[in-house]
Order: sequence, then structure tokens, then C-alpha cells
Amino acid sequence: MSTPAITPAGPDVETPEVAPAPRRMFRFGGARRGGGPVTLGIGVALALGLVTVALVAPLLNLADPMQTDLTRRLNPPGTPGHLLGTDQLGRDVLSRVLAGARWSLGIGSTAMLLGVTIGVSLGVAAAWSRSWLRTVLTRAIDIGISFPYLVTAITVVAVVGRGFWALALTLGLVCWPPVARVVYAETLGLREREYVLAARLMGVRAVSTVANHVLPALRPTVQVMAAFTFAEMMISESGLSFLGLGAPLGEPTWGNALSESRSYLATAPWMMLAPAGAIVIAVLAANLIGDGLTARSRRRGERLGS
Amino acid sequence: MADVAVPATATATPAVAPARMLRAVGRALVTRLTQLVALLLVVSTALFFLLRLSGDAARVLAGENASPETIELVRAQYGLDRPLVVQYGVFVGQLLRLDFGTSLYNGQDALALVLERAPATLQMSALAVLVSALLAVPIGTWLGARSGGRARNVVTVLISCVQGVPGFVTGLLLIQVFAVWWGVLPSIAGSGWTSLPLPILTLTAFLVPQLIRVLAASTGEVMRQDYVRTAVANGAGRGTVVARHALPNALLGVTALLGSQFAALMSGAMLTEFIFAWPGLGLLLINSVTTLDFPLVQATVFVIAVLVFLVNLAMDIVFQVVDPRLRRRAA
Repeated sequence: MSTPAITPAGPDVETPEVAPAPRRMFRFGGARRGGGPVTLGIGVALALGLVTVALVAPLLNLADPMQTDLTRRLNPPGTPGHLLGTDQLGRDVLSRVLAGARWSLGIGSTAMLLGVTIGVSLGVAAAWSRSWLRTVLTRAIDIGISFPYLVTAITVVAVVGRGFWALALTLGLVCWPPVARVVYAETLGLREREYVLAARLMGVRAVSTVANHVLPALRPTVQVMAAFTFAEMMISESGLSFLGLGAPLGEPTWGNALSESRSYLATAPWMMLAPAGAIVIAVLAANLIGDGLTARSRRRGERLGS
Repeated sequence: MADVAVPATATATPAVAPARMLRAVGRALVTRLTQLVALLLVVSTALFFLLRLSGDAARVLAGENASPETIELVRAQYGLDRPLVVQYGVFVGQLLRLDFGTSLYNGQDALALVLERAPATLQMSALAVLVSALLAVPIGTWLGARSGGRARNVVTVLISCVQGVPGFVTGLLLIQVFAVWWGVLPSIAGSGWTSLPLPILTLTAFLVPQLIRVLAASTGEVMRQDYVRTAVANGAGRGTVVARHALPNALLGVTALLGSQFAALMSGAMLTEFIFAWPGLGLLLINSVTTLDFPLVQATVFVIAVLVFLVNLAMDIVFQVVDPRLRRRAA
């Protein structure tokens, strides 16, 4: 994007000679040159599959996830009618895992949207403001990053109470600092780009400049952060439920299922393996999308020669 | 080695260095201290209002089945009948004297209870960091120094997969395999050294992939630097170049990551402690949060905040001492 600007002379003189080299490092994370799109493709396919299965599950004529049947407790996988077996109350493990997917994806996306919105707003505001406001905002971001957000989330959820919205909002309100830091750093750079400078010099209002020039340029970064935040939020949600502090007890969520499975590891390992597998697939999908997007925006950057 | 790292600008005479280093360390100290004060103020204020916002604080503090008389007694005892501003003033005063009150359940001093638990958490985290470093440094350097090949791709994919497994799922899987199926290691803490491997492995699995990634990326970057090219041109062998030039610089990145990941490590340690009944800060926090033992919650969060601060400060100082470029930039 940037035309050959006034780059400081010196080390850059050699640039043409070294230019092809960066690719070597960037291949890490993807397989080969085409690693980015492949990674992204697998991630998107996994994610789409998961979302579809989660949404279609209620139509599939599976067992009711809440239906207990004490005559069929701890049935192993493969039992007729219970593909993944049953739990300690005779409930169908498969339909509970699918119900858990709806819960986890719902909380993950709500918390991620909230956290990314806050993070982007604060990051851009910190980079755009001057003097004391910037100091306050960057300090706030530093403090937020240096504190274990799960500690905050646990404390807040314990007081606010359990449930979908309590959990989603709490997680969303504590997960923004990494997003804000990355956006802040990137916006500082964008501020000095020629087209942004031009807009500012022509007297375009700050709000319009940010909306028309900065936010679009931030999109690749924000997409990557969103994917990783989403993974992080699903992990946190199931972690909190696992601790007994997230979802209401008895609700079919992955964390609750894992928590219940702890007493039956010796007799019914499928109770643990099924939700564990579901979490791993979901997190992997989000991470692959994040990696793929990173690779894609890097390649774009290389192509444009910036 | 430091001189090799900055060949172009390594002009500072050794005589000036100590004074400069002291100044840099002092600056780091001041920055971090202001951060600590701000952090503690924010955290404790949040906790203060959280308890009051949760409804009738006296009822929470008195416990679930308290009679109305007990609740009134608690209200008077904790000064909850006074205006909010006065309460906050009293609260901050107590905070400055490190007086967190006593646990609502066994009446012991909250801070003492928390400090008793801190060594267990630190022990586990330190061992996990050590094991992670021993695993990540060779693998990460190898990955970064190589530019392609099938083995490298396989390792890369493996790392991505391990990174996709949340810490507490790793813990459960390890219990399933080592404690339930093979029966070789105990699944909970308290049986001597045999209870160490599983929790430490859980935390290690959480740390190692990130460490490897950062190490590989920074080694790869260093390998493209001019001074490495010069070394190669001068006839230095591949092993020498990696060990003497690439690794020291790459390790800086790892140290930085460990510092910035300490908060995440504490989150991970919390779940790990819960799974393995490890008597550390995390388990204490979870238990006191579940029982709404607020003095204990406040003391635990406070101590965790101070721990995070101390680790970050230590990292800052290590950086100033180890990396001469930072001092020069700041001066």
C-alpha cells in the first residue's frame, strides 16, 4: 500500500538482496507455500461442520439430552439408540455433546464479539488520543494483560451468578486486553500512513477517518484476533463450567459433562472422551482459521511489498 | 556474545555500562511500581463493589442459613450499616495495613492462609517452566534453524494439535491414561514425588507449544541477520552459528514470552490445581469463591496480583541486564 516512502537509508540498502528470505520463517505454522489456504480451508470446514451439526441436532430425532433413564445407566458407546453411550443418569452422551456445542459456540461468539468490540475501540482510542488519555488507556491495557483474566472471571461469575448471559458477558468484559494491545500497536502505524495523514490534513473528522481508513485496514488483524479469542473463550467457558462456576448444574454443556465424568473415569471413559473430543475439535477449528488468516494476510503483505 | 548481537553500534565502553544499567533498572522499577499501585487499587475497588453489588453483603458474609439477628450482628461488625463512602475509606485503610480480615469459615487470618498456599503454586509453576524450557529450547531452535523438510512439517502440525487441547482436558486425559488405564501414577496430590509428574506435564503441555513457536520464529529471524551471514561467510559451522549467535537472541524472546504468559500460566495452574487437588492458590481461590468466603477471595486475588507484578518486574530487570540494546535505546 505504501509507496516507496522516505525510508531511512542504511541497512535498507541491502533489502532487494535479502527480500525473498522472510518467506522461510513465515512458512512456519502452515505446511508449505500453500499452507495458508489449506489450513484456513480445513479450519473453516471443521467450523462449518460443527455449527451445522449443532444447529441441525434438534431435528435429528436423537434422544432428548435431558431425558434420564436409570435402567440404562453408563451404557457403552454403540448401544442401540445411544451412539456414544449414556452417562450416570442414563442420558444420551451424543445429544448432550451436541447441545453443549450450541451452548459453547453461543457463549464463545457472544463473548468474542463483545471482547473484540471493546478491544478494538480501546486500542484505536488509545492510539488516536494524545497526552493523558493515551497514558491512561495504555496503562489500562497493560494492567488488563498482566492480570489472569480467569481469576477475574471466576470471582465475578461467583457473585453475579450462573447462566448463559452472565457467563457470556463476564467473559466478554474480561477478554479484551490482548485485542486492544494488538490493535493499538497496529493503529499507531496506520496513523502515520500517507492516506491517513492526507485525510487528517484535509480536515476530515477523526471519527470518519477511523471509520473509512483505519478500521478497514485493521480488518485482517482483527479477524485473526477474533478467531483466537473465540477459541480462548470456548476454553474458558468449558473451564468455568468444569469448575462448577459456569453453566447451571445439569445443563448439557461440555464443561459440566467433563466435571461429571471425573467420578466415572474408570467405568465410563466415554463420558469424558466425547466432550473432550468436541472441545478439541472446536478449538482446533478456531486456531486453524486464525493461523490460516495470519498466513493469508502475510502473503498479501509480501505481495504488496510492504 | 552481546557484542556480536549489535555489531554496528557496539560503541559503549564497559565503564559506563554499570551506571547505565542501574538507571535502566531503576526506571523499570518505577514504571512497574506505579503499575502495581494502579492494579491493586483497581482490583480491590472492583472486589469491594462486587461484594456490595451482589445484594445484601451482610447476608453473604453471614452465610447461608444465618438468622436475622446474626445478619444484623454481621452488619454492625463489618460496618455495613454505614454510608458506602465511609465503608470504602475503611476498606482502603485496612488494605494499606494488609488487613484482609479472617476467613468466614474457620476464622483464621485470610492473608496467612493465602501465603501458606503460595509455595505449592510457585513450586508447580517453576517446575513446569523448567521442564517446558528443557523441551522447547532444543525443538524450537531446531525448527527455526531448519527451513523445510518433512520432519519439520510433521512437528509443526503436531504442535498445532497439542495447542488445541485445553489444559484441563490434557489433565483429564493424562489421568485417564496414567492413573486409570495404566495405574502407574496417582491422580491426586499428596502421595510424595509420584504426584508431581501429572500436574507438571499438564502445565507443560500448555506452555511448550507457545514456547516452541516463539523460539522457532525468533531463531528463524536471527538466522537471516547480517551478523549470522557474516559468521557463516567467515567459515563458522552451522552448529556454532546456531549455538553462539541465534540461540542467545532467540532465548530473549522466550524470556519475554514467559513474563507475559505468567498471567495465563496462573489461569492454567488454577485449573490444574483443581483437577489434581493440588493445595495451591488456585484451588484456594476456587474453593473460597464457591463458598463466597469474601475475605479469603480478596486476599487471594491480592496475592496473585502481587505475584504477577513480581514476576514481571524480575523479567524487566533480567532484560535490562541481559540485553544491552534495551539500555542503549532507553538512554
